Amino acid sequence: MFKLNLKIAWRNLWKNKGYTFINILGLSIGMASCILIFIFIRYQMSFDEGFKNEDRIYRVVSSWDYNDGNQFFSQGVPLPLTPAMRNDFSPYIEKIAAIQNDAGLIKINDAAGKEKIKTIENVFYVEPDFFEIFDYNWLSGNYSSLANPSHVVLSKEMATRFFGDWKNALGKSLNFDGKMNYTVSGVIDDIAENNSVQLKIMLPYKAFKDRNMANWGSVGSNSESYFKLKPNVNIETLNGPLKAFIKKYYVEDAPGKEGHLFQPLSDIHYNGKFGNFSGRIMPKKQLYGLAVIGFFLMITASINFINLATAQAVSRSKEVGVRKVMGGLRSQLLVQFLTETLTIVFISLLIGSILTEIALPGMQNLFNSKISFSIFQHPIILVFMLLLVVFVSLLAGFYPAIIMSGFNPALAIKNKISANTGGLGLRKILVVVQFAITVTLIIGTLVILQQMKYVREQPLGFNPSAIAMVDLPNDSLTTQRFATFKTQLKQIPGVEGVSFCRTAPSSQNNNGNSFSYNGGKDVDFQVNTKNADEDYLKTFDLKLVAGRNLVKSDTTNEYMVNETLLRKLNIRNPNEAIGKMISMGGMKAPIVGVIQDFKNKSLHEAIDPILIGSLKPRFFYAAIKLNSKQLLGTMKTVKKIWEVTFPESVYNESFLDDEINNYYQGEKIMGTLFKVFAIVIIFISFIGLFGLISFVATQRTKEVAIRKVLGASTIELVKMLNGSFLLMVFIANLVAWPLAYLFVSKWLEGFAYRINISIWPFILAMAISMIITLVTVSIRSYKAAKANTVDALKYE
Amino acid sequence: MVGRQIVLRFKRPNLQPSAFLPSTLKKMIELKNIEKYYANKGIKHYVLRHVTTTIKQGEFVSIMGPSGAGKSTLLNILGMLEEPTYGTYEFFGEDVTTLNERKRIELYRNHIGFVFQAYHLIDEMTVYENIEAPLLYKKVGSSERASRIANLLDRFNIVAKKDLFPNQLSGGQQQLVGIARALAAQPSVILADEPTGNLQSTQAEEIMQLFKKLNQEDGITIIQVTHSEKNAEYGNRILHIADGVVKEDVLVR
Ligand SMILES: Nc1ncnc2c1ncn2[C@@H]1O[C@H](COP(=O)(O)OP(=O)(O)OP(=O)(O)O)[C@@H](O)[C@H]1O
Ligand SMILES: [Mg+2]
Repeated sequence: MFKLNLKIAWRNLWKNKGYTFINILGLSIGMASCILIFIFIRYQMSFDEGFKNEDRIYRVVSSWDYNDGNQFFSQGVPLPLTPAMRNDFSPYIEKIAAIQNDAGLIKINDAAGKEKIKTIENVFYVEPDFFEIFDYNWLSGNYSSLANPSHVVLSKEMATRFFGDWKNALGKSLNFDGKMNYTVSGVIDDIAENNSVQLKIMLPYKAFKDRNMANWGSVGSNSESYFKLKPNVNIETLNGPLKAFIKKYYVEDAPGKEGHLFQPLSDIHYNGKFGNFSGRIMPKKQLYGLAVIGFFLMITASINFINLATAQAVSRSKEVGVRKVMGGLRSQLLVQFLTETLTIVFISLLIGSILTEIALPGMQNLFNSKISFSIFQHPIILVFMLLLVVFVSLLAGFYPAIIMSGFNPALAIKNKISANTGGLGLRKILVVVQFAITVTLIIGTLVILQQMKYVREQPLGFNPSAIAMVDLPNDSLTTQRFATFKTQLKQIPGVEGVSFCRTAPSSQNNNGNSFSYNGGKDVDFQVNTKNADEDYLKTFDLKLVAGRNLVKSDTTNEYMVNETLLRKLNIRNPNEAIGKMISMGGMKAPIVGVIQDFKNKSLHEAIDPILIGSLKPRFFYAAIKLNSKQLLGTMKTVKKIWEVTFPESVYNESFLDDEINNYYQGEKIMGTLFKVFAIVIIFISFIGLFGLISFVATQRTKEVAIRKVLGASTIELVKMLNGSFLLMVFIANLVAWPLAYLFVSKWLEGFAYRINISIWPFILAMAISMIITLVTVSIRSYKAAKANTVDALKYE
Repeated sequence: MVGRQIVLRFKRPNLQPSAFLPSTLKKMIELKNIEKYYANKGIKHYVLRHVTTTIKQGEFVSIMGPSGAGKSTLLNILGMLEEPTYGTYEFFGEDVTTLNERKRIELYRNHIGFVFQAYHLIDEMTVYENIEAPLLYKKVGSSERASRIANLLDRFNIVAKKDLFPNQLSGGQQQLVGIARALAAQPSVILADEPTGNLQSTQAEEIMQLFKKLNQEDGITIIQVTHSEKNAEYGNRILHIADGVVKEDVLVR
């Protein structure tokens, strides 16, 4: 029976090739998009998984509450926290371990003692207990060896890179940052890419030295702490002890009220409030957004199917009648029609899979991650595809099947089933729904693109173009060479300016401090402190509004501030601030200049209060303003001089432009996704519309022919066929507008600097949808109106 | 042998058919050497050959012949629904053999009314709306439209049915509506392809009476295709067609 159904299904699909093609085209593109979205979401949802008792693993994170209502969060903890918690929380916690991120120069010599490898790498200082919390796969050695401060553990990849074969690595030695030699005591299997902690080089925590080892007032995002709960302990029971803990250790007065939170391991990849070592965060909201788009794509494609199927229903009414008269049961017909749907959906899935495979590299590129479409590696993808088939078959096939199998046989045979059967009303509603989705997406895309353009064109308050940021090694030895280095740089013909500084005016690397103004007590907000030399203003083209520039100095003896800082201090006239003293961290210096506000972070965020003072040991970058015409050549010279000046280190450069563009990576991805999916959805909707109008035109051939012999002109006929479609798309626009408005205004709220929503994207979306509708429908109905009249009227 | 038989069976069309009608009548349709064939795999299959005839205003012509003889094809050519492969067709002295769309629509709006065997009413429109459709295309003013339709409904005795849809009517009633629609635009000629083919004889008779009346009282030219000798008698001239050739052209008394 099924085989027979399949055969009949095949014939019917073949007979209506055109509609079958439209259905398959729409469904397969829709399914490919859904599969892509699914595998992306699956990949993102697979982060930090697969550890033993992973639901008992937590990270300790920090928070500060300020009097002005602001809250500040950090993924890091004060260095003394881990040992203190190990002691105070022992009834609840099985193991707790500190982990410290650092980067430095790794040097490896070959057997003859000659330098073989010199490279800057990320390293982690870890306590052995860390490996009791995370059960990595050990290829050789064991974690207890990290109790010895002169040992190092490598990942398989690193061991292979450093020593040719990881099996040879054990016992070999490497040098870190020119200070210490470490002996390899273990190798772990490579940690999969979907992990927030990417351990490659693990140094013993005992070897980590820092002056803040006992300081509760200093938190760096490089210092994290993880623990594993004891079995059967509820995380809530730790709240009481935590309060006591905070009271016990935070005894000094500070502008913000310190707090800690226990973040489940499963939250680390998704929570945008805290960062993580991998730097990759994927807010769940965005994943849900993608899922919703995927769902809408599927709905749109299914609507095509329903519309075409119910439209065709009439032409198949005779078949239904005959089958019923022959003794076919309604249920049998239902199964037959569903088989047809299933066949189409299945073919679409196959084509969709091919499209997925084709689109995958683009997707990987866009997200910069190694998502894979292997159903063997991830059987869940296969499960998803099967569910998709079932879902779409039922969604798309059930209603038309019910309608068709329900025809009254007597009427059907006498051909009395009229074209309205199968819900002309429903069809109209579905078209409206479909186009409302399409128009919403068009408007969303237009607004996102507009906002991106706005962001790109925002005046930053400084000029970031053609500025190279070159790393400066700054230990006590290298800082002595700064002055000569700077002079040499300035002599290069293509260099227009050089400034040594802690960060560029706009940076992700920010440093907050509390301070007091003019002898008062500590203010209740933090100031973003940047250290820079006297060339900073000129190099970045920053504008002074009062006072003067810093004078050349190696230490901090004067400050410049920005306008926001004065506003926060309630100072109206910038000149009033000149000469007033700022004390911070035991140092006191006068304000000598006020800088016009500049955007110091991404445009998602407002401008910080900023303090700039000279301080040589805090100069991490040489900012080099270049003549943009001879950029590359100049940078080659810069590199050469750098390598001669700092032979013990590794050169690294980046361009400020690129870094600033990187702030908006997320938006860029969103923009691209929206553009792609908007085009996909427009395409699906309009081929559906084309199918529907084709059908209506065929359905009305007789009417068209009659009207023609009654004297209707082609234009009049085209108008007649078009009218209802234009109206439907118009109504869809009206439905879409408020939805789109809600969506885009919500999205724009995430930007501190944003466009005002104007009517234009809405009008444009309407124009686009109406014009495409008009063109699509007119082409088809013109053909119908020009068709040979006789053929339609000759034979009944 | 076969050829001789044909000669024996059919008379040559040597009569002047319209001779008995007042010779002042205007020539309406003039066909000269009309040919129509369908080429299939290079072989020409003739449907009409050397059809030459004249139809004057006010005639009531019946086209008869065996099935497949080419009657419908001829009528379609007369109605400009099809173009002949060869020959010329003049309508009121104007060559309409090949006609642009605007011109043809013009003729449909003002001169030609169609009546079909399968009625071909528009299913989604009521009786009233069906009759109104050609008037809308002809851009007849609304009061004029209303009065014309009222007139037709009244004359055909279907006033009570004016708000019904075609599938709520009997075949005969549907055909009455079809004729009313054809007449609404006040055409000079009605082309009817087996208008009673789907009807019972009593209903058919009614339609034929109506045609006769329209022809005699309103002077509307009628050209119909029919299989029934009896129906053909209502008219005043019969064209016999076989194998695409006009075999006989006779006047009816
Ligand atoms: N599109 C076409 N292609 C090929 N042959 C055609 C086509 N249309 C009509 N014919 C042929 O032309 C011939 C005449 O057809 P036509 O419809 O004029 O016959 P008829 O005299 O009206 O017959 P009936 O009395 O059965 O209605 C037939 O043999 C038919 O098969
Ligand atoms: Mg015929």
